[in-house]
Amino acid sequence: MTTHTQTPLPAGLRERVLRAARDARAAGRALPETPDISPVEAFSRAADAFAGLLAMLEDGHWPIPVLRDLDVQGLVGHLTGVEDDVQRALAGDPDVARADHVASTQPLAEQQGGRPPEETRRAWRAAAERTVVRVRGRNLDAVVPVHGMRLPLRSLLVVRAFELWTHENDIRRAAAFAATVPDAATLRLMTALAVGMLPVGVARVADDLAPLDVHLVLTGAGGGTWDIALGERSARAVPEVAIVADAVRFCRLVADRIGPAELDAHVIGAAGDAATVLAGAAALALD
Amino acid sequence: MFAARLAAGDDRALAEAFDELGPAVHATALQVLRNSAAAQDVVQDVFVDLWCHPQRYDPTLSSLRTYLTLCARHRALDVVRSDLRRAGREERHQRLLPARPEPSPSEEVTDADTAAAVRAAVRSLPPEQRRVVELAYFDGLSYRDVAQRIGIPEGTAKSRVRLALAKLGHLIDRQLLEQS
Repeated sequence: MTTHTQTPLPAGLRERVLRAARDARAAGRALPETPDISPVEAFSRAADAFAGLLAMLEDGHWPIPVLRDLDVQGLVGHLTGVEDDVQRALAGDPDVARADHVASTQPLAEQQGGRPPEETRRAWRAAAERTVVRVRGRNLDAVVPVHGMRLPLRSLLVVRAFELWTHENDIRRAAAFAATVPDAATLRLMTALAVGMLPVGVARVADDLAPLDVHLVLTGAGGGTWDIALGERSARAVPEVAIVADAVRFCRLVADRIGPAELDAHVIGAAGDAATVLAGAAALALD
Repeated sequence: MFAARLAAGDDRALAEAFDELGPAVHATALQVLRNSAAAQDVVQDVFVDLWCHPQRYDPTLSSLRTYLTLCARHRALDVVRSDLRRAGREERHQRLLPARPEPSPSEEVTDADTAAAVRAAVRSLPPEQRRVVELAYFDGLSYRDVAQRIGIPEGTAKSRVRLALAKLGHLIDRQLLEQS
């Protein structure tokens, strides 16, 4: 946009116009509007998408290395283990509260070697369906301790949707399939969760963060706009950084599948502050 | 980027657009309408529409300046057309009204009662509603002129008159019922 000299605007017109705009459409919510769905539905949709991918795989795809020391079959075994642990947590088993996400599921991942892939697929599908059955009708605000996290069930289910989508795309990349994007309603829950957890991630990478206001704009379906206060508040003026990025790429960053430099974010404010915030987002590693 | 920010609900993007282009949009509307209050209404409509329907702006077709000033021109012309249609309707209405016969003595009494009831009802309105009714109905001003006279948006003037008329209807019915 370029600057042109114009007659001054009538007094009060700016405030009047902006107020009328916010009355007509609340700030923060992305367009087009997406229907709100429950976290149970979001998890269920992510599980369906993952199941859809597994149904497409041929025998030759299952031994392809994907992640850490896991091939496709091992990764699916890992996810079956995660479902088992979540169900144990829902049943009140204290042992899974402190269990490590990888170590706890590694035995099941390793057991997949030599099994027919169809058995691995069926075992995961059955485990995911059991999770859906067990969370339906439960209090979504109840805290579920699992794998070192203590999250309300509604957040845990979105974390799980994050995990399934991320691993679905890990397998797609390994098998040379096109990447997928969650539907807008699921993505909206994922972006909202990631933004809500951002202070936790930033605290992981910056021990002594000075107060910072973050204006975060995530563009595209499932995006939105948030103002996040980081660090201890004080009476002094707090610096601000504005970050504009694509919602899906931001989710990939939060899943630790791309780095901050690959986010291609537009930053207004101190680049160093933005780098800390984005490093904190990646530190959430919701995969 | 700009349209994507608007779609993401970033109201700062709207404020930036207003600061950059509000004067041009206002100047365009004022050039057509020659009326500051009406031009301000057009400016509000244009930016509210941009905020609520950002997908209508296609940056591959035009700059935001061109898009918004075109929107302002179209809306301003719509206002002019609407004013002309209303003036035409009023003129036709006046021409088609039958000549009123001389009132009978009993009609004169009834008319006087009604007028007294109306005056009493208007006096009982809240001051801001009474003012718009007096200007619109006793002084014969248009909504736009009423708005300009007391320094409020035209939409506010309309809503005050609507509220006042609804109240007057109830008050006058009750007073006439009591008199009968």
